[in-house]
Amino acid sequence: MAAVTQGRSVPSGVPHADELLAFAEAIVAGDPEVIALARVALERAMGPAAVVDAAAVAGNFERMVRIADGTGIPLDTPVKLVSADLREELGLDRFGSARETAPTTAVQRLLGRLLRPVVPWLARRMMGRRERAG
Amino acid sequence: MAAFDYAEAPLPIREDLPEAHRAAWASMAAPGCWWSGAERVAIAEAVRRAPSCHLCAQRKAALSPFSVDGAHDGESLLPGAALDAVHRLVTDASRLSRSWVEKLAAAGVSEGHYVELLGIVVAVVSIDAFHRGLGLALEPLPEPLAGAPTGYRPRSARPGTGWVSMIPVGGAKGDEADLFSGPTAANVIRAMSLVPDAVRTMKTLSAAQYVPMHAVGDIGWSEGRVLDRRQIELVAGRVSALNECFY
Repeated sequence: MAAVTQGRSVPSGVPHADELLAFAEAIVAGDPEVIALARVALERAMGPAAVVDAAAVAGNFERMVRIADGTGIPLDTPVKLVSADLREELGLDRFGSARETAPTTAVQRLLGRLLRPVVPWLARRMMGRRERAG
Repeated sequence: MAAFDYAEAPLPIREDLPEAHRAAWASMAAPGCWWSGAERVAIAEAVRRAPSCHLCAQRKAALSPFSVDGAHDGESLLPGAALDAVHRLVTDASRLSRSWVEKLAAAGVSEGHYVELLGIVVAVVSIDAFHRGLGLALEPLPEPLAGAPTGYRPRSARPGTGWVSMIPVGGAKGDEADLFSGPTAANVIRAMSLVPDAVRTMKTLSAAQYVPMHAVGDIGWSEGRVLDRRQIELVAGRVSALNECFY
């Protein structure tokens, strides 16, 4: 997870992480020449369809970060509880937008650790279930 | 030629992407709840000018983004406060504040106007980033459709989360019943619900560009993708971190 904040300087264990991170970083930075180099490297490593997937995801999160930052939403309470240790480890609490979320208390942190096994279930509840036809 | 015709693109682009992008473009061209079609397309034009705006560059370099006054580059039919909002959302979103949004309202950009504007900004930013990533020319903006804004505001929207009114968890009923597909809804899904079509466009784009909402909690999901879920989240997380997004 540290690769999210520290980039290619730390191993992530994710296949082709270096190429993916370089491509994501290039898109955020916006220099067309750097993007082109990163795109070619990623295509060589994973093929053209992977480049399309990665560009789409990067674009998606250029959107989602602005929705969050532009509306001042706090972290959802379940996410706040279960992510406290991870946020501290990654240094996310230093971001300016963290000010919209109240600090996590010791009790909340403990509760978050207990809740971790049900995180996938919580995520499904928060993001919605597949709509059923009929 | 249809919008988002990727037939000549150097890389194979799966069909759900242009479908989602076309839907966003069609929505942008039509009158919304608070802005006309022409104003909505003007918002998109401003999105594209913001990255090279000299005032935005000065503000980005300043200790406080609110310490530098001036005029943004380029002409626009948008009111000054709305144009400023677009530029700030594109170039320096992580340093916005509740008091800034409140001042926008005092300057004539109501929270409804602001949320609709935000929805257009983020749609254009995400689609343009995709194009830049693939080395494709940016899609020409659509011709605006005639008509007046509806002034529609969901009855259940209320303040309490974040800086703008939102439909509360459990409050998406009637015309908004389709907005949240589960019994609860994450704040980021509710964030733009004051303008329901902004949420619909976001869901359409996210389903093609990232992961459908129903599958976000499924860590094994990678249907129709070459990247596996870990690789998807690595890219998502890195882009978010570089934008200093806490959420």
